[in-house]
Amino acid sequence: MRKKPKLTPLDAVIALLISALLGYIGYRINIGLQYKWNWGAIPQYLFRLDTATGNWTANLLMQGLLTTIRLSIWATLIATIIGTIAGFFRVSSSLFKRLLGRTFVELIRNTPPLVLIFIFYFFVSDQIMPVLGVDDFARNASETTQSLLTFFFAPPRFFSAFISATMTVAIFEAAYITEIIRAGIQSIEKGQFEAAYALGLSWRQKMQHVILPQAIQRILPPLAGQFISTIKDSAIVSVISIPELCFQGMELMAATYLTFECWITITVLYLVLTLSLSLAVERLEIFMRRSSV
Amino acid sequence: MQEKQFGAHSSSAIIAVDRISKTFPNGVTALNDFSTTIRRSEVVVVIGPSGSGKSTFLRCLNGLEEIDSGSIIVDGIALDDNKKNRLEIRKEVGMVFQQFNLFPHMTVRDNINLAQQLVRKKTKAEATEMTMDLLRKVNITEKADAFPAQLSGGQQQRVAIARALAMMPKVMLFDEATSALDPEMIGEVLEVMKTLAREGMTMVVVTHEMGFAREVSDQVIFMENGKIVEVGTAEHFFYQPREERTRIFLSQILS
Repeated sequence: MRKKPKLTPLDAVIALLISALLGYIGYRINIGLQYKWNWGAIPQYLFRLDTATGNWTANLLMQGLLTTIRLSIWATLIATIIGTIAGFFRVSSSLFKRLLGRTFVELIRNTPPLVLIFIFYFFVSDQIMPVLGVDDFARNASETTQSLLTFFFAPPRFFSAFISATMTVAIFEAAYITEIIRAGIQSIEKGQFEAAYALGLSWRQKMQHVILPQAIQRILPPLAGQFISTIKDSAIVSVISIPELCFQGMELMAATYLTFECWITITVLYLVLTLSLSLAVERLEIFMRRSSV
Repeated sequence: MQEKQFGAHSSSAIIAVDRISKTFPNGVTALNDFSTTIRRSEVVVVIGPSGSGKSTFLRCLNGLEEIDSGSIIVDGIALDDNKKNRLEIRKEVGMVFQQFNLFPHMTVRDNINLAQQLVRKKTKAEATEMTMDLLRKVNITEKADAFPAQLSGGQQQRVAIARALAMMPKVMLFDEATSALDPEMIGEVLEVMKTLAREGMTMVVVTHEMGFAREVSDQVIFMENGKIVEVGTAEHFFYQPREERTRIFLSQILS
């Protein structure tokens, strides 16, 4: 039987205190700051009517949101690849590989991401990207290629910066994914490794047919959770002028001075993205639990 | 007693263990200068109090545990750092675990097919044919499409035996194969093990089942503190033990 929700006196006091606090903040903003709300100005920065084509297109904030999504998806994909390799290193029988994996994880996880961003970004975009000729490639590509690049990554003028930023976020997230993969593999009972060994399976066969199919059920939910973290963490690349949601917010604020409207809108946009993904992850976890019984 | 099927080389050694020692990182010495020889078609039962090193001894025989010193030779192949040798020995030595260790994400059939296809390079049809024969042998054909979680402990252990047999091993290791089973299921697993013994399979069995030891073993090894206390035939071991320590142990477990 389900318990009926009951409001205790303590609950009522807490609720009262919270609403009083919110009321006071509202009062300070309206009276103290003499803030003039202008919500009407926001929608045009989400979408605008393209007078040339007569279609509604994404404006500043929406473009920022799309860049955030693109960056997060690519960064998570790349991070998963790096993290899987490093995760295998972490559980390797070779001491050298274990040391490499551990060093990578500890180095990244114990450094402020902002510092990493500066180091990686200036090195990657200054040294690696020109060597690879990424910039020239994006600028000189055919029109169809350019529109594809714009759709999947970023417009040609941002392309190189976008790739560097993605790589930076990916390397950062990879350290966390490494630990997810390691924990997933190590969560499989020792007996499974031993049975596979005793049957004469090679390391690869053991991983491919016995360990990973079981580990993947335990890896997927936290991996999806890490994707949500990536979305939040991606805001940090605004410091290197990638036009993602947070950066666009700063631009908009500088242009309009609509501080609260602007940041509340951005908060809502992030929340819509992360909360809907959280719900999806929750569903995935329930599904995984059911199918594993 | 029934005639052994593969008794032709019954006098030749298939496993030669020479002065092996093993100390775990926590300082516990599991094996101390331990030597023994196991002949073809022989059933060797290893008994001893818990912590005596009997499971460690068994696990050393296919390289699941590394030995610190000494040598192990299985069917003429040295169990050393050479990966090829090791693989060869893993193929020829089957193992049955206390906790069954079936692969939970695969059906019974796929559990038994897997190593046949991956290691013995059989086609799926060839593997399945052998699998069904083995399931008949362990008397559980109706569960071929079931998953391990849908089976009782006794059924799971019989499948685990079939899975090990599918590799056509020359030696079978049983590590307390009945210890995790409910009492009413021990019989069905012991029955399968006895059948194997009668067919002439070389078996090394760590067990607490003294009835099994008395009935089918050719050699009983009594261990304590990583050393052999007494070795002998079942007859000798159970009725005329030489060592005082053996007598005390037997009186404790047979009472």
